[in-house]
Amino acid sequence: MIKVDKHTRKVLIDLHKNKNVSLEGNILKVIDPDGDEEFAAYIKDSIDKDKDNRRRRLEITKQVQSQNKELYRSQKENDRVNRQLTKALDEAEESKQSAIKAKDEAIKAKDEAEASKIEALHQKRKADKARVEAENAKTVAENDLELLQKKTQFELIGTIVRVALWVILGVGVVTTLIYILALATNLDTTVIGSTWSNIIGILLTNAFSIVGTIMGVKYASGKNGEE
Amino acid sequence: MIDSILLIDDEDLFHLVFEDACSLLDITLSLKSLTSADEAEKLFRKWFEEGTENKPECIFVDLNIIGSSFDGIELIRKVNYEYGNGFVIGIISSSSDVEEQTRALKAGAQFWIIKSDDIEPRLEEFKKDFKKYKDRTQSFKVYK
Repeated sequence: MIKVDKHTRKVLIDLHKNKNVSLEGNILKVIDPDGDEEFAAYIKDSIDKDKDNRRRRLEITKQVQSQNKELYRSQKENDRVNRQLTKALDEAEESKQSAIKAKDEAIKAKDEAEASKIEALHQKRKADKARVEAENAKTVAENDLELLQKKTQFELIGTIVRVALWVILGVGVVTTLIYILALATNLDTTVIGSTWSNIIGILLTNAFSIVGTIMGVKYASGKNGEE
Repeated sequence: MIDSILLIDDEDLFHLVFEDACSLLDITLSLKSLTSADEAEKLFRKWFEEGTENKPECIFVDLNIIGSSFDGIELIRKVNYEYGNGFVIGIISSSSDVEEQTRALKAGAQFWIIKSDDIEPRLEEFKKDFKKYKDRTQSFKVYK
């Protein structure tokens, strides 16, 4: 509470008495009359006057407010609708942005799928190429193996032929030597002579037969390789 | 008596009505009035960040505040959830929409006073309940 000195109290009371001017407002509620009856009456009078003024003003304000009520209500409604509209527009914009984002993501996903597809095709081509290369390598290996087998066969045949020729030659030479020995020592050559001619004939026949067989085999192998 | 009150309402005439009613009913000695929720938010942010002592004890917020970027319920939500929840706060509106009242309750409003030509009886009843609001023992109440 506020305490007011004697001089100020006197000035305020005189002002009220002579010019009907007094304090007003909430300040009156915090002034302590400090036992001064005249000042307490002044305060009470001022508070009552202030309350009267406020009551009057309140009534007038309410009347004006009442007159403006419809207009004000319309303004409020407009504002409310505008706010809802703004909110709806914001939400629509947000939805639009979300849709754009989703579309971008879909396009990106599509691009990625396309890239994956291309990559898959690329990989498939590489796999096909690798398969063809593997098949070629297999063919080459098979050919090499076949060649190796043929080479081995030819070597074997060559060995057989060489051995056969040596055998033929050996038999021929031995028979011939025996026949020459029989002639040189004047022994009977009836048996050995016919035997020698038979053996030479058989050997020559067999030799040509072997050579013919070898040539035939060679020819057949060469034809298969070409095919 | 309530130490200090803050009124947020776009209608200047209602500021006068509220001030006179508060004075006549001895509700408060200190009343501050604002016309915009945005302006009020700035003030709440300042109080929250600076922690000043001159904060109001009780806040009355209009439901639809013309010219503001959000309504009174959103302001209450911000005050309670972003700026410290340190006030007795509620709605003062001519609307009696139950859905809005439910929304206000969810936002943390403690009371709903319906504005009318005869506001004084409601304010007087609110004055009687104020201590319970301050103690947080009073449940949400609509003053019709």
